Amino acid sequence: MKLLAVTSCPNGIAHTYMAAEKLAKTAEEMGAEIKVETQGSIGAENELTAEEIQAAEGIILAVDKSIDRSRFEGKRVVECPIAEAIRQPEQLIQRFTEGNVPVYRSERQEESAETADPEKETGEGKKSRAQNPIYRSLMNGVSYMIPFVVVGGLLIALSLGLGGEPTAEGLVVPEDSFWAPILQVGESAFLFMVPILAGFIAVSIADRPGLAPGMIGGYIAAEGSFYGSEAGAGFIGGIIAGFLAGYIAKGIKSIPVPQVIQPIMPILVIPLAASILIAVSFIYILGSPIASLMEGLTAFLNGMQGSSKILLALVLGAMISFDMGGPVNKVAFLFGAAMIGEGQTFIMGALAAAICTPPLGMGLASLLAKHKYQKEEEEVGKAALAMGLVGITEGAIPFAAGDPLRVIPSIMIGSMTASAIAMTAGVTDNVPHGGPIVAVFQAIGNVPMFFAAIAAGTVVTALMVNLLKKPV
Amino acid sequence: MKMTDLLTEDCIVMELQGENRDAVMEELIDCLDRAGVLSDRETFKNDLYAREKHGSTGIGFGIAIPHGKSAGVKEPRVAFGRKPDGVDWDSMDGEPANLIFMIAVPEEQAGDEHLKILQALSRKLIDDSFRQALMEAKTGQEILDRIGEM
Repeated sequence: MKLLAVTSCPNGIAHTYMAAEKLAKTAEEMGAEIKVETQGSIGAENELTAEEIQAAEGIILAVDKSIDRSRFEGKRVVECPIAEAIRQPEQLIQRFTEGNVPVYRSERQEESAETADPEKETGEGKKSRAQNPIYRSLMNGVSYMIPFVVVGGLLIALSLGLGGEPTAEGLVVPEDSFWAPILQVGESAFLFMVPILAGFIAVSIADRPGLAPGMIGGYIAAEGSFYGSEAGAGFIGGIIAGFLAGYIAKGIKSIPVPQVIQPIMPILVIPLAASILIAVSFIYILGSPIASLMEGLTAFLNGMQGSSKILLALVLGAMISFDMGGPVNKVAFLFGAAMIGEGQTFIMGALAAAICTPPLGMGLASLLAKHKYQKEEEEVGKAALAMGLVGITEGAIPFAAGDPLRVIPSIMIGSMTASAIAMTAGVTDNVPHGGPIVAVFQAIGNVPMFFAAIAAGTVVTALMVNLLKKPV
Repeated sequence: MKMTDLLTEDCIVMELQGENRDAVMEELIDCLDRAGVLSDRETFKNDLYAREKHGSTGIGFGIAIPHGKSAGVKEPRVAFGRKPDGVDWDSMDGEPANLIFMIAVPEEQAGDEHLKILQALSRKLIDDSFRQALMEAKTGQEILDRIGEM
């Protein structure tokens, strides 16, 4: 992380330099790079250049007298009294690592930004999105989640690809095989995915006290057994849990308490109270709708048998990508798996194509238009391609969680395309698993059309999402 | 110019007598006055208090640095006093101040060497072990030695 700072105090004799020293030392301890301009009675020293300002991720202005701010237009700027930089430099720097810093705009610019329709100012897309606190929280959660998705996805992909065997229960890695523990490690990483996402969404809202309630909420969201549901609420549930936990923790934080209790607020009172509240709301308020949603969707799919195959394919495709591993996805997948038992392997055939297009499509999209993705998203894109080949839909979750309104519709359309083509062409799959890997295991009937369906879905996903996405 | 040109042994008070901020201020101002660096004691004092009013110079970690850039000062000088029990300085962290540096800077001064030295001192004060050494020093000379190491 590259930060810049300006310190200045009324006399410019002592505080200016103490703050500069403290910021520099603390940044070093925290592994951040910082350059501090001092505006003391000697004049400005160690001045920041325009290039440095351009390259910096954030600016700290620890100033007790007014300084020229115009050169920081459009940068993330934290302003504080100089005493705060001497006393609590960690917290200042942490605000940047948490992405919890607004973009500085002079009043003149603020006015013009407010009058302009945010959707229309495409050139300003980055600024308006970066300013949106919801987007910022999502990206914070996603950036912490990404390594878990990548580690989990790649290990699962590797162990299934090299050690998996097609069975009626799907691709299974035999227990005594070398690949079984590797699969387990990958699955463990996946287990953390939603809790980490929720946890760090909450942290971006409520700082550190949000972490425990966020992660616990995320875990409950992802673990359906808490509320008698076969599937958890998936990453969408995790996002909801993260925001809920964050705002609950922030709310509790803002309640005035006596001084004696204050020290235990962030470590005991806030996490405990917020965790209980989030757990209760998930188990008793949000949980049962999820269970009944699954029942309803299952009944709906069963009712669709015999109606138009294309329609069924479109519905299944949309369901598979909507929440990628969440309840809606699970219902579609379990329906397809159940139908294999009844000899209707064409349903799983359509699903198998739809399952892999979200990660493949997002991977392709991030390769095609690098400027529309964060650097870490580009890396995830490559991992997503590998996950897609092995039918791990979750590979697209980092993209979807970071920008749900643009990504989820795109991957749904892509999966619908793939699923419809596969269904029409009569692609069959007698193993409940998706992605090109099932063709390798010779479970697919009509392999050429299976790949054609996947290719079409992948391209449609990539083109649509890149059309919707704005440059980062 | 070295730090030891700004802080001399006659301006070091090993144990301050004053029990509150105002008394400690007087003691250190007296030091500077005796050293002959003040042309107008009252003006300097007013400027010190004007700075305190703007925000306490008790920066926490047991340090206070009352300072004035004042027409009442003839030449730049620092007075240093220790108060083991601490004195309330309305610090940011609510802790009393044990190490008090009073900094006198003339309104008009050719060159900025003295400011650079004060800057170095300020930066050094952030260092825990430096503060510890100042607290533990037995003699004025020892304090000067530690500060001279800067």
